Amino acid sequence: MTLASFSAESLLKDLASIQTQHEIEQFYYREAWLLDNHEYEKWLALLDEKLHYFMPLRRNRVKNSRRDKDAVPEFSNDKEFAHFDDDITAMKGRIRKLLSDYSWSENPASRTRHTVSNVIILGNEDTSTIEVSSAFLVYRNRLERQVDLFAGERRDVLCRADNDLGFKIMSRTILLDQSTILSNNISIFF
Amino acid sequence: MNNDESINEHWSTRKIKGLVNDQDGVLDARIYSDQALYDIELKRVFARSWLMLGHETHIPNKGDYLTTYMGEDPVIVVRQEDNSIKVFLNQCRHRGMRLARDDEGNAKAFVCTYHGWAHDIAGNLVDVPFEEQAHCDHLDKSKWSPLQARVETYKGLVFANWDSEAPDLITYLSDSLPYINTMFDRSEAGTEVIGGIQKWVIPCNWKFAAEQFCSDMYHAGTMSHLSGVIAGLPEEMNLEDAVIPTKGNQFRAKWGGHGTGFFVDEPGIMHAVVGPKATEYFTTDPAAKKASERLGSDMLGERMMGQHMTIFPNCSFLPGINTIRTWHPRGPNEIEVWLFIVVPKDAPDAFKAELRKQNIRTFSAGGVFEQDDGENWIEIQKVLRGHMAGKMTLNAQMGLGQSTQENSNYPGRVGDVYSEDAARGFYTHWMRMMTEPSWDTLKPE
Repeated sequence: MTLASFSAESLLKDLASIQTQHEIEQFYYREAWLLDNHEYEKWLALLDEKLHYFMPLRRNRVKNSRRDKDAVPEFSNDKEFAHFDDDITAMKGRIRKLLSDYSWSENPASRTRHTVSNVIILGNEDTSTIEVSSAFLVYRNRLERQVDLFAGERRDVLCRADNDLGFKIMSRTILLDQSTILSNNISIFF
Repeated sequence: MNNDESINEHWSTRKIKGLVNDQDGVLDARIYSDQALYDIELKRVFARSWLMLGHETHIPNKGDYLTTYMGEDPVIVVRQEDNSIKVFLNQCRHRGMRLARDDEGNAKAFVCTYHGWAHDIAGNLVDVPFEEQAHCDHLDKSKWSPLQARVETYKGLVFANWDSEAPDLITYLSDSLPYINTMFDRSEAGTEVIGGIQKWVIPCNWKFAAEQFCSDMYHAGTMSHLSGVIAGLPEEMNLEDAVIPTKGNQFRAKWGGHGTGFFVDEPGIMHAVVGPKATEYFTTDPAAKKASERLGSDMLGERMMGQHMTIFPNCSFLPGINTIRTWHPRGPNEIEVWLFIVVPKDAPDAFKAELRKQNIRTFSAGGVFEQDDGENWIEIQKVLRGHMAGKMTLNAQMGLGQSTQENSNYPGRVGDVYSEDAARGFYTHWMRMMTEPSWDTLKPE
C-alpha cells in the first residue's frame, strides 16, 4: 500500500484480504482444537468428499549443481510410496478406527497440541478455492513418558463452506520435517 | 563343543543355550534386552547372515546406488557396469568418514568429503589427492578400499553377507523357497518395487518384529488388529459381521530359522487389508491361476489368503499384501524399520496403484494395522527394564508337538496357523548362531 494507491478501493481490497487471512487462521486454530480434543467426527465434517490427504516420503539427497537437480526428487510422488495417501473413504475408515474401543495405539489416547502458524495465502485462482500454506508444530505425549515432536508445512486447498467453521479442506499435503520418522507410529493427524 | 566356553564376560555357551527351549516351548526374556547378548548378536548373527538390502529394481542402471545397513554397519549397494551388484561398507579407509551421505542416487564415483579420497562405483580406491606429495613411499590403494560384502540375489531381492564361510544364499534359505515364491515368483516377469523406502524408529528389540512376521498370525486373528479391520469395513458392515479367518497353516524351515504362516481359503484378512478387488488378483483372477501353474499347486498360487513370513534374521514380508521390510537393529532396545513394497511387473497399472494405496493405508508408519503393532512392541520393551520382568520365562508353547512333515498340501514341517512352531525354530536357530562360532557345525546337512 503506497501513498499513491491510498484510495477507498484499495483500502477495501486490503481489508478483504486481511479478513480472509483472519478467517483462515481462526479456522485453523479451531481445527487444531478439534484434533487436540479428539473430536474426530467434527473434524471429519471439515473434510471435503473429494479429499486428498497426502504426506509424501522425504529423502536425503546431496545437491550437485552440475547434475540434474531433480534426478532424485526430495519428496516422493503419487506413484511412489508415501506416509499417507488417503481419499475420503480411507479417512472415514481411520475415524471409525479411532472411535472404536480397539484402537490400541490411540487407546489410551495421545495428548497432542497442534500449533499452527506462518499462515500464508498462496493463491485464490478461482473464487471457489483458496491455496494456503501453514507451518505446524505438533507435540505428542502418550502413556507414561512417550514424547514425540513433529514439525512441517501443510499445503491446503480450502473452499468456503456452509458449516460452523466456514471452510472445508479439499486437499492437504503434509511436508514433514523428517526423513526417517522419529516415532513408533503416526496415529495422529496433522 | 565346550559348553562352558565363555563368549564374553557375561555369557557362556551353556548360559545362552538355557535361554531358548524348543522342546518345552519356553523363552527367557533376557534375549530381548541384554546388551551383552546384543553385542554377541552383532558378531555372530548379523555379521554372518544373509541380510536383505533391497530389490534389483531399486538400482536398475549402472551407477545407481542405495545406502542402507547390514546390522548397524552402513553400506552402499551399487549397480555395476556388467550389471552385477556390489555392496561395500559406507566408510572411507582413511579416517572412517561416511562416503555417501544421501539415500539414493546415481554416481560416477564416491568421493569422500573429508580429504577427497575417490572410489569407483565398485568401491575401489582409485585416487588420493596430493598422492605424490603426501605418500612419497606410495600408497597401495588396493589395500585401502572399503570392505566388500558377498552379494547374492533371489527373485529380485538383494542380500549381502560379511562372512566368506557362510553357505550360499540358496542353501541358507533351506526348504523355505516355495513360501518365498508365492510373493516373488508368481510369473515369469517377476516383481518390481514401488519407489521410495519408508523408514521409522520403533523402540523395541528386533526379534519381536522378526518373530511376529515369522510365526504370529494369532495376534491378527485375535486382538491387535480389530480396529485395523474396522477401518476397512464398508460403512454398512460392523465388526461382528466381519468373517475373520481361522483355517490355515504354519511352516518352520528345517534349517535357518525362517518361518511363515497363512490362512487358507478364507479371504477375510486380505479383504480387510488390500480390499476385495486386489484380493481377487491373488486368488481368483487368471493371473492367480497362472501363478498356481508356475508354483506347482493351487494351494500355493490361489488358496493362501494372507501370509506372513520372515527370512532369518530380519527380513519380513506379507505375500498378498506385498509389504517387505528389514528390521535394522539399533541396540537391544530399538529398531529402524525400512519398508518398501513390490508389485507384479506384469499386473495392470490400476492394480499396482490400488496395491500401493492399500499398503500405505494399512501397513506403514501410519498404517491402520501397523500403528497397533508399534504399540505392542514398545510396551513390551519398557516392561523388560524391570528386574523381575527382564528375566521372566515366557510361553511359546502353541502347537507344541503338532507339526508334521505329512501335510499333503504344503511342503516341509507344517502345523496349524495358530502355532509357535516357527517361532521356536527362529529362536532355536538364533541360539545356534549365538553359540556355534564355526560353520562346520552350524551349516545345514
